[in-house]
Amino acid sequence: MKQSETVFLIDDEPALLRALGRLLKAEGFTVQAFESALAFLNAPRHTGSGCIVLDQSMPEMSGMELQQRLVQEDSALAVIFITGNGDIPMSVRAIKAGAVDFLTKPVKDSELLAVIRMALKKSKEMLHSKAEFNEWKQRHAALSKREKEVLVHVAKGLPNKQIAKELGVVEQTIKVHRGRVMSKMGVDSLAQLVIMAERLRLK
Amino acid sequence: MTAAAALTLAGVHGFVWLRQKKQMASLMFCLMAASTAGMAGCELWMMNLADMQSYAHALQWYNLMRWLVTLALVGFIHFYLGSGRPWLELTVCGLRTLSLLLNFIFSPMVYYSSIDELVHISFLGTQVTIVEGIPSPLSIVGQLSLLVLAAYLVDATWRSSLRGNKPGALRVGLSAVFFVLALSIQMMFSLWGIIDMPIVASLFFTGIIVVMGIELSEDMLRAARLADELRIRESELREERKLTDAIFESAPGMLYLQSATGKMVRWNSQHERVTGFSNSETSQMRAEDFCVEAEREILKEARSIALAKGGNEVEFDLARQDGQMARHFFRMVPVDIGGEPHLVGIGIDVTSQRALAAETEKQREQMAHIARVASVSELSSSLAHEINQPLAIILSNAQAAQRLMAHEQPDLNELREILEDIVTADIRAADVIKRLRSILRQGKPVLESISPPTLFDQALGMAQSDLKEAGVEVTRRHSKKLPTLQADRIPIEQVLLNLIKNACEAMQDNGSREKLLSLSCVNEGIWLRFSVRDNGHGLQGNDQEIFQAFHTTKPNGLGLGLTICQTIIRAHGGNLWCDRNKSHGATFHFQLPIVPENL
Repeated sequence: MKQSETVFLIDDEPALLRALGRLLKAEGFTVQAFESALAFLNAPRHTGSGCIVLDQSMPEMSGMELQQRLVQEDSALAVIFITGNGDIPMSVRAIKAGAVDFLTKPVKDSELLAVIRMALKKSKEMLHSKAEFNEWKQRHAALSKREKEVLVHVAKGLPNKQIAKELGVVEQTIKVHRGRVMSKMGVDSLAQLVIMAERLRLK
Repeated sequence: MTAAAALTLAGVHGFVWLRQKKQMASLMFCLMAASTAGMAGCELWMMNLADMQSYAHALQWYNLMRWLVTLALVGFIHFYLGSGRPWLELTVCGLRTLSLLLNFIFSPMVYYSSIDELVHISFLGTQVTIVEGIPSPLSIVGQLSLLVLAAYLVDATWRSSLRGNKPGALRVGLSAVFFVLALSIQMMFSLWGIIDMPIVASLFFTGIIVVMGIELSEDMLRAARLADELRIRESELREERKLTDAIFESAPGMLYLQSATGKMVRWNSQHERVTGFSNSETSQMRAEDFCVEAEREILKEARSIALAKGGNEVEFDLARQDGQMARHFFRMVPVDIGGEPHLVGIGIDVTSQRALAAETEKQREQMAHIARVASVSELSSSLAHEINQPLAIILSNAQAAQRLMAHEQPDLNELREILEDIVTADIRAADVIKRLRSILRQGKPVLESISPPTLFDQALGMAQSDLKEAGVEVTRRHSKKLPTLQADRIPIEQVLLNLIKNACEAMQDNGSREKLLSLSCVNEGIWLRFSVRDNGHGLQGNDQEIFQAFHTTKPNGLGLGLTICQTIIRAHGGNLWCDRNKSHGATFHFQLPIVPENL
């Protein structure tokens, strides 16, 4: 049996926390419940994939505020909002900030589970791309100073000849650097290299 | 000539008497005139007689006539003046009758004890016969009767004038006295032979008859005039009646005249049309028969007040013949008719007005309800949240249970807990709905008279545990003279309780600063102002926001308390507002209108 995925429940209503917890546990999820956003933030951070079912209207820190904190932290946890009295502007803001969905209480189990599965998939993707990004960052860090310069110019789409002229070296030298950069970064094509440079925001 | 005139008058008054049998004076006059005519005939006869035998015979007839004349005169005075003394009347008649009888007994004649001769003398240019002889002492009876008659006439005239009777009475009486006295003097003189004259008593009586005739004619003229006036008056009355009939009919409602006991006397056709009772039915009915049974006492009282105080108004459901009812407004005015108190008045159908008024009132209430719902509509989204929360709990628990049941060995403990949570959440949802209903409740506040300090007592009593726990010191201040308040007690107490609880929460973080709550109730003339003052953290947000639905600074607050408070106070026609204290905290005030109790 594969390891169960974790769902975080945050709601100021304990009875609802219990109810949703029972529902998700019955479906085989690992559930962690918190009665406030602060309680969640104070707990040790989960590093794997997972999702948060978050009540929008809570005292002290609202669901929206917690979402912003998670974005800042570059968390891979996917956020699902549930709310008792949500309106359209609020849901638009939440979705723009990366929420998977914005559900209204009371939520049907099938709907909630479908959204949770979608969120977990997204979380995995996020975790994956985050891991990939970190990998790229490490590879980039392993490049020599000259190689980094060549990478920036290649990503700009300049031909070897012009790069050699800019850096004041012969074209053949650039060709060697370029080949080394490609192998060190682990890409096969120029296109892949350009995408990578873009993600790493190299200039 | 005298006889002809007297006969004419006798005929006229005899006719009058025949027409009006009660006019005994006319009968007497007729008799007197007729017998005077007879007397005159006898006198004329006597004047032309030559022998003693036939003279005596004529004199007997003459005396009969005189007897009749005297009796008729007494009778006339008796009936016309109505003031004669009965014993004098009897004396006169008795003496005259005696004189007549004597004349018959002592025939040939009572006047003379011996007759010397029949003398022919010239009288007023004509040859007449008179008797000369020694007068009989018995003739004194006739003279006496004349004098008593004169006395009777004087007495009757005197008494009549004292009573201020008819204006002609005095003239009749005096002239009768005059002629009777003149007659008796002439009779004496001629009897005793002092003057040579035939007996002409008829002339004197004719004088009386003429005067009487004039008076009777004037009486008749007067009666005719009165009859004319009566006719005019009658026609005026007929016109008046026609006019009142027209007024009765033209009235815009029912008109009625009832006796003090409620018997229907007169009514217009509108009355018949509205009640449906025919005129013959109505005439058998009483005022209260037209009133529905439930309101008869009201009508009875209104009627007695109207009779006692000169008028009244009353409104009741008219009971129609077909069993239907119609709201009517009645005005009643007392009026004396035939010496009996009556009530006259008008009744107007006010069914449509009352229905209109009721409709207006209903619309007003609906408008008030809409206004309240509008202000409360903001509440509804928050209340939706309040209801959704327990519904979400119920749904998720139930669906979790469904999924648990799908397991091979469901955890029964877990299922039990799920059911417990479902029950709790359900009760919570029901509470929210109950609260919602109380806010949206339609209908007027049920007003009762409340002594303002008792409102504080109740609210403080309910908040006691909170106050004690928080360690709040409460001070109270009232105006000396507080009027009674007309308000719905429970909601007002809820408002006070809410404000007190808010104040307590605001002072939660006062720390070392003493927690002071002061309540006051001030009489401001037309308003009664209640204030709740704290020294807590003060107000956050502007004044408008504070009373808006869902505005809250409390972690567990809904932001509805003050909105609901405001709704309650406004429903009472009052205001709710807040002030920021200069040092610490806030003061919430609400005003309620002072309604005079007798309004």
